[in-house]
This record gives sequence, C-alpha cells and structure tokens, in this order.
Amino acid sequence: MEKFVKAFPSKPLTWPRGKQWALAGVVGSGNLEVLFERNPKTTDQMDCHVESSIPGYKDSWLAALGDFASNYPVGGTKVTIHDQGADPIVVTFRLRQAYDHLLKKTT
Amino acid sequence: MKNLLEKFFGKSAKGIAVEGKLMTGYAEVAGREVCVFGTCDGTYIDNAAALRLAAHVIDCIENHRKSPIVMLVDSAGQEPNRTAEMLGLASYFGHLLSCLQLARQNGHKLITVATGKAIGGAFICYGMFGDRIDALDSASVGLMPIEAMSAVTKIPASTLEKLSKTMPSLEFGAKPFALLGGVEEVWSEKDDFATKLASAIASATTDDNRAALGKKRGGRKLALDVRNRVLAETAK
Amino acid sequence: MSCSNLFHEQTARQRIASLVDPGSFTEFLPPPARVMSPYLPQLDIPVSFDDGIVIGRAKLGGTPLYLAAQVGQFVGGAVGEVHGAKLTGIIKASARDSIPCVFIAESGGVRLHEGSSGEIAISEAMRAVFECRAKRVPTIAVIGADIGAYGGMGILSTCCDFRIMTEHGRLGISGPIVIEKWMGKQAYDSSNRALVWKTSGGKTKFLLGDADLLADDDAASVGAAIKKLLSKSAPLTIKSVKARQQELEKRLKTFGKTTDPDAIWKVLGIKNVAEASLATATEFTALAKRK
Repeated sequence: MEKFVKAFPSKPLTWPRGKQWALAGVVGSGNLEVLFERNPKTTDQMDCHVESSIPGYKDSWLAALGDFASNYPVGGTKVTIHDQGADPIVVTFRLRQAYDHLLKKTT
Repeated sequence: MKNLLEKFFGKSAKGIAVEGKLMTGYAEVAGREVCVFGTCDGTYIDNAAALRLAAHVIDCIENHRKSPIVMLVDSAGQEPNRTAEMLGLASYFGHLLSCLQLARQNGHKLITVATGKAIGGAFICYGMFGDRIDALDSASVGLMPIEAMSAVTKIPASTLEKLSKTMPSLEFGAKPFALLGGVEEVWSEKDDFATKLASAIASATTDDNRAALGKKRGGRKLALDVRNRVLAETAK
Repeated sequence: MSCSNLFHEQTARQRIASLVDPGSFTEFLPPPARVMSPYLPQLDIPVSFDDGIVIGRAKLGGTPLYLAAQVGQFVGGAVGEVHGAKLTGIIKASARDSIPCVFIAESGGVRLHEGSSGEIAISEAMRAVFECRAKRVPTIAVIGADIGAYGGMGILSTCCDFRIMTEHGRLGISGPIVIEKWMGKQAYDSSNRALVWKTSGGKTKFLLGDADLLADDDAASVGAAIKKLLSKSAPLTIKSVKARQQELEKRLKTFGKTTDPDAIWKVLGIKNVAEASLATATEFTALAKRK
C-alpha cells in the first residue's frame, strides 16, 4: 500500500451552491474512486490524500495530480483517492469526472 | 446421536426420529413440550433436507401451538451441486426461514444449539435465525477455518492467524463467535444440557440482540453503531 | 462505461440515479462520512468510502422508498461488518417508517476477509427483512448484475417479498467455479456461459417462480417492474407457506433428476428454447406457462 499526502497550488474554485462533495469511480481492479470535498482552510491549493494498492508509482501520481491542479481551478478542495491499480489515463479521467459532478447543479 | 439427544431431552428423546442425517420430532424440556429438529454428523443440507425440516416446522405451527422450537445444528453447509442450484436451493433455504418466521410470529420461541459443525450457509439457513443461539464449546462455529479462508483469499494463513488474535471475526470456533455476539452462551461438555436448554428457552426474546452483544463483548465493535447511525439519519 | 444505459453495466450509483425520480435521492452515511471497513487496511486491501453499498431514500413515480445498492466492483460486492450494518439499518428504517425497501443486489455473499462478522451481518439483515414482512412493508430484491446474488445474499434475496430479475442477473448459493471444483468440469463447466446463465439466470428463475417479474436490462424496465410491486406484499400465513411447500416439493419431484436446464424450460412452456433465449422480458413472460 502506498499512502501519501500532498498539496498542489491551484486557482480558487467557485463552489456551486449547495454542493459539498462529488465522487467518481469505484474501487475495483484497474479502477479508483475520487472524492472532492470543500477544504475551508485554503482557497489556492488542492490537498490530495492518496491510497494506492500498488506501491512505487508516487512520481506518476504527483505528475497527474499536479497537472490537474494547474489545468483546472480546484483551489480550496480536498481530494481523497482510493486506488486499485488504475492507469494514469484513468486517474486523469476520474479526476475530471468528479470535477464535472462537482460543478453540476444537482447531485 | 442418541446419547446427545438424551443429554438434552432425557427419556423424551425417543420422540425424535433420526432419519439419515436429519432429525425431527417432539420432546420435553422441564416438563413442557418442545418441537425439535436438526442435522447431525456434519451433513450437507440439500433441497430435500430443507423441505423436510420446513414441513416439520409447518406441522409444529399447525398442531403444536406455541411449542418452543429447538434447532440443533451439525452441518458443514450446502453441497455445491449444479442441479440443486438450478432448482433454486436458495429458495428452499428461504422457504425454511420463512416457515421459522411464521412460527415466531405465532408465538413459538426459536432456540438454537450448535452441537457440531455450524459453518457458513448451513448455519445461516436455520440456526442463526434463532431468538436465542447457544453453542457447545466443542462446536465448529464460523464462516470457515483460517486455512480455507487463506486458500480463497490468497492471504497467507500466518497473517490471518496473527490478525485473528485481535480480530475474533477471523477466528473459528464457538468462543470467538460468541465475542461477535453471534452466540449468546457457550456450553461446556460438563454442563447439564437439559437445565441449560430450559433456561435458554425461558430467557429467549424475539429481539435480535446480536449487534449489541458483539459491541458489549468487543468482538464486533461497529455493527450496532453503524446501524444506529443509519436509523438516526433516516429519522431526520 | 460511465454513460452506459445497460443495467448490468452500470455502477450502483448509476443504477440508483437512472431508476429514481430526478433529484429525489438522499444518501445516508455518504462518502464524506467515511464509514469504512476496519479490516481491509490490516490486510493491505484498499477501502472504499461507502464500503461497497450505497443506501438512501428516494421516490419512484412519486412513491417514497428506501434503497440499498451493492457495488459489485468492490470486493465482489461482498458483505463485511460495516456494509452489512448499513444494509440492516436501511431495512430496519423501512420497517420503522413503513416505507418499501428496494434492494439492488450485486454480491458474492459474505466478505471472507472479514470472517464471521459478515456472516452474522447477513443473518441480521434477514431478521430485518422479516421485520418488514411482519408489518407488511414490501421488500423487493432486484437482481440484474452479472455477479448476481450468491451465498448469503442469494438466501437473503429469497427472504424478501418479491424478486425482480433481468436475464443478466443470477441467483444462487454456490457459484459455478465452486461447483466445478467440487463436482468436476464434466458436471459443471464454469466457462460455459450459456449453461451458467441457464442454471442460475433470470429467465430460468422466472420460469420456476423464484423471480416474480422479469425485466429487460435497462433502468426503465426495472423501474416499471418495481412500481408494479411497491404497493403489494406477500405476507407469511400458514396457507402461503403450505402452498410454497407443495410448490417446492413438486419442483423437486419433477426436476430433481434433471441436469439439463432446457428440459425445465420445455416443461414450463417454452417450445423453442433458442428463440426464447433471445426473447425480451415481455416476450418471455408471455411464453412462460406460469400460474
């Protein structure tokens, strides 16, 4: 199990009203779940908590998360990930999916 | 088998017929009639067995008003069989459970004593449905032994063995099962079974207290709290 | 993938979203609550925010209901201590509030990694189901995923008032791989998908009477089936259990020596098995000689 916490600078997210969290994906082989939540302690960074069943890929994780934080305004969020061996492309896709859910008006 | 039945029911054990590995009948506990059924010699329960036990429960409901029902469990589970599955073994088990529920609704107390093997599906399909569930300390109670769990999950037995010291859920046997609240009381071979059974019948209630018991005994700490959180949130 | 309309390909959350009235779903112990398994981390297995079961309240065609949907991708939808306690909690809420309970099954049974705790949890859920039934609160199991409802979850499904299945759903206790190991490949080849589905799949279960309604593999069809049952219940009476006893005895007598599912289909009214295998739920229901 690889576990780490890391914050990435990001432009502030404008939270949609009434939205507190958004989830994408499921924990299963080659897949992962991503949870976005509000983080009242900051407005200009994305706090990431990652747990992956496959150790040794921290660099890839940091790259994928760093890219996401610089491509999308997600400052003021806490992102928690439970991973079971997802490919980097799936990681990026799930982050984007959760972000989209977050910005949608209704859950 | 006869000896064991006599330990529970004395001379009245003669009212219990043992056919194959199944027993059904009526006996007495503390001078009061009880309905008895169960399995022996670690037998497998198949569609026909479930039906025979269900028929006995139906007979009890129809002809022996409010007699407590004593369920003895010594079964290794269901035998993996394609025809049994094709004919809906799950439905046969569901039917047996439904008969027991009807008995409960009609005022029959349901008492279980695990006397031998009480493993997986065999325990779920009738014994675990009791109002009060006891077990002999020699009984093999639980989901499966650690070696079997290791074989299926591919987790080394030594790892599971070590974890079972702090997690009784992974351990196999009547005592760890009691720590989880799944068994109310573990009987010793030296106990007077007839007296034990009489007090089990007297104290049985229809409330399912297993989660509370598991929390109190420390073997299953979360079940009650999680359930209560759901009940609290849904009540808002 | 994420946008599939096929019920058996959807995730638990997608199934709920596509079944219920838009915007009507409220989840209990949602992901941010992080009510998760304490066992899995100790075995170095990843946890999930919902422990593999989504529970909540929603409306279907305006009728309120409680829902539980299992996440088959997560440890095979298997039932551990927390998963089982969430399930029992929502069923008990149904009994307390007299609101129907719909349970979307996708589970191999007890989560072996959590040992006997999962086994007791399923037994507790059974007691809760019967608590509903004693109060005539409808309990409906929906089985429409490839994993199906096996082991203790198969038995739990048979304790509910009603079962809705799609042809993708499977209902049983021992899975095909276990049986193949036990009986040998000649008796049961678990890689023979047609045989596996004919042994435990929705169409066979519907013919036998173990599934009350057969639905197509989409949320609209499953939703329509649920609506048909929401105002009904199947109370346990001496008459009902005796009728069921007779039915199951007759089934065992008629088919107990049969190994060929096609033979069952034929006796139960299906003249052209190949054609019926491809039939929609509506067409198949019309073909079946039931009650």
